[in-house]
Amino acid sequence: MAWADLHSQSESLASEAEATLRQGNVDKARVLYEQAAEAEARGLEQLDVSKKRTLGISAVSAASLWYKAAHYVEAQQLAYKWLSSGVLPEFAEEQLQGLLQAIWNETAMQKAGLRFAPGQVVVSVKGGDVVTGGAPLDLIVEKVQTVQSLFYRTAELLYAQPYRQHGQPSQELREMCRPWLFQAVPGSYQFAVAVQEPAQQDLFPGKRPKAVEVASHFLEILRASVEEPETVLPKIVPDPQYRGTFLKLTRNLAPTGKSFEAMEVRSADATEPITLVPSARKNIGDVIRRQTPARDPSQFTEETLLGVLRAVHLDRDWLEVTVDKDHIRVEDVGEAIDDLIGPMVNRPVIVHVVRDPQGRRLFRDIEPSE
Amino acid sequence: MTETNFTLPIHNLAERHRGVTRALGESYTEAARVCLDRHHVSPVTFELRSKGNTLDGVVEWISTDERTRDAWANEIDTTEAGAYACALAAIELTIEMVAVHRAETKTGADYYIAPRGSEVNDLEDCYRLEVSGVDKAPVHIVEGRLRLKLNQAAKGKSNLPALASVIGFRAKLVLVENLER
Repeated sequence: MAWADLHSQSESLASEAEATLRQGNVDKARVLYEQAAEAEARGLEQLDVSKKRTLGISAVSAASLWYKAAHYVEAQQLAYKWLSSGVLPEFAEEQLQGLLQAIWNETAMQKAGLRFAPGQVVVSVKGGDVVTGGAPLDLIVEKVQTVQSLFYRTAELLYAQPYRQHGQPSQELREMCRPWLFQAVPGSYQFAVAVQEPAQQDLFPGKRPKAVEVASHFLEILRASVEEPETVLPKIVPDPQYRGTFLKLTRNLAPTGKSFEAMEVRSADATEPITLVPSARKNIGDVIRRQTPARDPSQFTEETLLGVLRAVHLDRDWLEVTVDKDHIRVEDVGEAIDDLIGPMVNRPVIVHVVRDPQGRRLFRDIEPSE
Repeated sequence: MTETNFTLPIHNLAERHRGVTRALGESYTEAARVCLDRHHVSPVTFELRSKGNTLDGVVEWISTDERTRDAWANEIDTTEAGAYACALAAIELTIEMVAVHRAETKTGADYYIAPRGSEVNDLEDCYRLEVSGVDKAPVHIVEGRLRLKLNQAAKGKSNLPALASVIGFRAKLVLVENLER
């Protein structure tokens, strides 16, 4: 049979597998994906090597079908074979490398003996100081901490917890959905976050959101914060304290353009990313300032401090910024200090304050300065 | 209603696009109906922009029932599936191309399109169709998503030639553009 006939066979089986999966029948879907993979792999062998684009597309298709059938050995073997052939176009090589990384992550998760919720979130940082597979450590540490904070805040919102002003997320919450970091394919600098499910489900009786809902809700909140912070986000996050914190954490993820140009966040199962660029940072910042209660301009003067955050007092709501060599105290912080401000300690920051008639500096907003 | 140039053919996709199975085609149409029902009442005027041209057209559909809407409860999946129906209809209408093949990727599948009626034995000259759906966001977000795709294709190791189509359901907008390096 010619490639076109075998590929058509594979298409038919894969479409049926997708429909079956949508109905929730995972086992049957995997059998169909396996049959589709076999047909595609046979078709691949019929192709003339001069048809490079078709070879590349078909090789990726075959490996993807083995992957969707959860036949990771066959997927790897096919990927290695075609990657070493030297005949594939670049786009196909990159996609096969991505598949291999996904397979290694799946295998690592299985070997760890831990259960992870379906659906990983992939975070990519691009441009500026970021190179393929590498990025400045302080930049990535800060972004990883912010992503972690966003995950925990999402879980707290989903589990209807009262807004947490201070302290770490509760031990119970961290056991219910703990985010893990996995390697992603270096296309820029990427990492993947997977949510670990609790070891013993029966410790948490009653109807509770599942770990998989935390990841999908996280993406929904992030997208709304970036694209529709004033229309859609309030519907998803009605509580104003939660909403304010989500906006600030999202703003802190977005670049200024100095050390990197864009951050993309997407589900590992989907192609459509949420893209954070400098304009998104500015837009979210404007929304935050619009939502912060204004002070009487006849009594208060606005000021911006550029310096290094040197100290915070978790209980007394103040922070201290060193500007040149002056230590400047800012009061009335009232923020979620631990996850919003904590990661900024000993880093350059921009602090927006107002000065009251007594000369005290009162907190309005803070953001990292790259 | 303003004078319109077209009716977007989102129904019976499998009859005209041989790369779309009957089951998938019906599924895409159903998802499109759910997406349209969220924001509009049939018929509704959509703006279609393709390769520098702008057309106003009508989208008609039968309203969905509660059971159908419940079956499509995942908003992201529904928007993506509904976008496929609109994108395939748009490329058929504007550039007379149809889906001839489908190929799997890690995250989903890509459609490959070719001129209507052409014999296709491989994918060398086919256009890959990249589809994106936007549910609630306004026009500038829909336009921004297309710009991002154009920028990514210009920089990266993309599988070209390709077309991108972005559908804004609440924005009533269909965008189709060539992706080029």
